[in-house]
Amino acid sequence: MLQTTTTPGPAPTVHLSGELDLDCADSLRGAVFAAARGAQAVVVDFGDVQFIDSSGTGIFVRLCLDLRSQGVPVTARRLPPQVRGVFDMLRVRELVGDEVFAGA
Amino acid sequence: MNPGHETLQDEAEAIVDDAERPPATLQVCRYLTRSRTLRSVIGEFDIGIPVDDLKRHAIEALRRNEFMAYTVSLPDHFDSDELCFVPQDGWCDILSVRTNGWRRHHGDHRRSLNEILSDLAAAVACAKLRILSVEELEVERRRGAVLLERELDDAAGLAKARETIDAVLRDDGLPKAVRATYVLCISEAASNMLLHGGGGGRLSLRRLDDRLRTVVTDRGPGLNFVNWMEPPAADGQASMGYGLKIILDSLDAVGLHTGESGTTLLLDQLTT
Repeated sequence: MLQTTTTPGPAPTVHLSGELDLDCADSLRGAVFAAARGAQAVVVDFGDVQFIDSSGTGIFVRLCLDLRSQGVPVTARRLPPQVRGVFDMLRVRELVGDEVFAGA
Repeated sequence: MNPGHETLQDEAEAIVDDAERPPATLQVCRYLTRSRTLRSVIGEFDIGIPVDDLKRHAIEALRRNEFMAYTVSLPDHFDSDELCFVPQDGWCDILSVRTNGWRRHHGDHRRSLNEILSDLAAAVACAKLRILSVEELEVERRRGAVLLERELDDAAGLAKARETIDAVLRDDGLPKAVRATYVLCISEAASNMLLHGGGGGRLSLRRLDDRLRTVVTDRGPGLNFVNWMEPPAADGQASMGYGLKIILDSLDAVGLHTGESGTTLLLDQLTT
């Protein structure tokens, strides 16, 4: 189960808490796209994520690429070791670019 | 536009080709040393190469005790398919990777079919992945004592399944860090089952003498790999093709059987 809360601002932060898997696509996309509406950028905070797999990673990668194409860059911050480990294994930096992790 | 297509007409012709193109496949057959015969293990092994040539290369791989791989170009195009000979104890597995011209769509961030199938072939070559015949599967899936069995039919059940499996693994004494990686691999196999395996299947966690084994069995039509090449789904739930990479990178031993009645993965975590 994934919970999301958003801190508003010109570059809103979407805080993720819980598990990112195949089941979280709607809530993750819904929260991040809602935050991106009218924003200059979006920050995704992974600090309270307990689990992520390749499906959750795929959804995040798609989000980054889709929002970048709409002119809204996404950055990730506070990556826990388990998230960092899966991102490294799947070479997420190569897919979305180092700039996504500039603040992590 | 796909960078491989120079004009709009090329692009249009490519789309027509996609509709008519057969799916990409992984076929496996086995040369048995004792009987000197070939038998199909995954798919009907017919790749247009004379049986005697296949046998000759299998015997050569067994004699050298080395993995041998060849690139096979079909007459009408330059798509390079692969043919791999993997010597085992008493037999030689022969893997035919046929892309049938499928390529990664432009802008698709998922892994290419060639990457996925090459990973499979490499994992077989280094003895991490074992391709199982029907008979081997029937023996292997029943080994050991059952620790947990459950059906899984939708993604909403994944978190609960992980929690239950983690508790059983903790009771079995598996260290926390190892447990986390093993649960991740089981979750990957279960997600693939939900995405590609007919929408559901069964998980069976078992205790063998030297290992824990999870048998993940789906109800799908068997792997044809082509679903990885579809454009990404709008809801972002399409597989990246990375689940199997995580499994093969993380586990000590994996078994695979795929056929018309479904696909089964055996995920082994050694404990001694």
